[in-house]
Amino acid sequence: MRLKLIGCEVLFREMCHACAHSPHQVDVEFLPKGLHDLGGKPMAAKIQEAVDRTPEGVYQAILLGYGLCGNGLEGLTARHTRLVLPRAHDCIALLLGSHERYQAYFADNPGTFYRSTGWLERGQGLQQLTHHTTGFDESLETLIGKYGEDNGRYLYEEMTRYRAQYRKLTFIETGLEAGGKFIAEAAAEARQKGWSFERLPGDLAWLWRLVEGAWAEAEFVVAEPGQRIAASYDNRVVKVRT
Amino acid sequence: MPDLEKLHAAVIEGDWKAAAAVTHAAIARGVAPLTIVGCLVPAMDEVGRLFECEEYFVPEMLLSARAMKASMEIVRPLLAAAGTEPVGRVVIGTVKGDLHDIGKNLVASMLEGGGFEVIDLGADVAPERFIEAATARHANLVALSALLTVTMPSMKTTVDAFQAAGLREQVKIMVGGAPVTQQYADAIGADGYSESAAGAVALARKLVVV
Repeated sequence: MRLKLIGCEVLFREMCHACAHSPHQVDVEFLPKGLHDLGGKPMAAKIQEAVDRTPEGVYQAILLGYGLCGNGLEGLTARHTRLVLPRAHDCIALLLGSHERYQAYFADNPGTFYRSTGWLERGQGLQQLTHHTTGFDESLETLIGKYGEDNGRYLYEEMTRYRAQYRKLTFIETGLEAGGKFIAEAAAEARQKGWSFERLPGDLAWLWRLVEGAWAEAEFVVAEPGQRIAASYDNRVVKVRT
Repeated sequence: MPDLEKLHAAVIEGDWKAAAAVTHAAIARGVAPLTIVGCLVPAMDEVGRLFECEEYFVPEMLLSARAMKASMEIVRPLLAAAGTEPVGRVVIGTVKGDLHDIGKNLVASMLEGGGFEVIDLGADVAPERFIEAATARHANLVALSALLTVTMPSMKTTVDAFQAAGLREQVKIMVGGAPVTQQYADAIGADGYSESAAGAVALARKLVVV
């Protein structure tokens, strides 16, 4: 098969690795991590643009290297080529290898901040993409510069209070972490924010099945031309609407 | 009334010191506390509108809420002393597993400005805690927030918990948060959904009217 993969750059290393091993020819396009920060509707519009740019008659399917991603894939419509999306809430599920494993880990580990290779090294162009600044991850100095000493300090406290509510940074290890620098960076971030640190083995088999064309109904939703993807509000995560 | 125009402006501009000063001055001049409170919701509605059209973003909303809260701090004890009944009693929190609270905090502030007694349980709130608080404080409204599709199921378990405890008829339950939709609210049997913080106040008022 000839397949087109439109994926989030957060999964860059993991997806390239999977594509390199696929029996199929996969053309890849990565979209910025910042889409996640735009919110559901704007993200969905951007991904639809990428789908719509795909030429007709070239690919047997367009693969989506995403999960539901906060409804960023809600309403995505297949035009002339079928769309294939993993039944995942987000990329953490994909990195852990199954919806069930993610649900279980999430429930057992409240207050966990997740990191992976892509979450550490991608998305630096965030400010250009998000034409407004959400204020998150802005330094105290920047906030004071924008809002004055008193309000700047207040905003910094409000925006960083979440750090005290999280307890752990979990780095999802997939074996693609060249030379240990990612682990070291994640561990340093955990220390800096006062969190504990865990290295959790990931499982890329789900991503491999996406690019291998092994689209079991239980794991993937397939939208045929004219159908659109929607949140299903159950354990199947997503469904198609005609 | 010049005082209230200045208060309105202070909230829009996110100037908490001006909001406090104007509130003190208004009280000193004999403006009724309820009249002062009555100016805060329209001001926050305007802030909400500015957010919707992307002139204001989260930091500006937080500063406006700060200004509104500064005024409420002064007015609240006066309302209590006068025996003013709240429009309703609402228990609010972010559901179990979810730590996001900024949106929830904004809604909580706006509900208070809108005349509600607000019992804010914070984030990662289990269904049992919502039930305990609603019962203990005689709340007639429960407001649930979630920011992740992963934690939205906790909204359903909370609604179901009220049902199982035989309390479902005693409270209205409203839901909100970025990934939440009207469709989801309907699917889980919630009484209402608001897409915005400003809309939440209007919805809350509608839900508590007997």
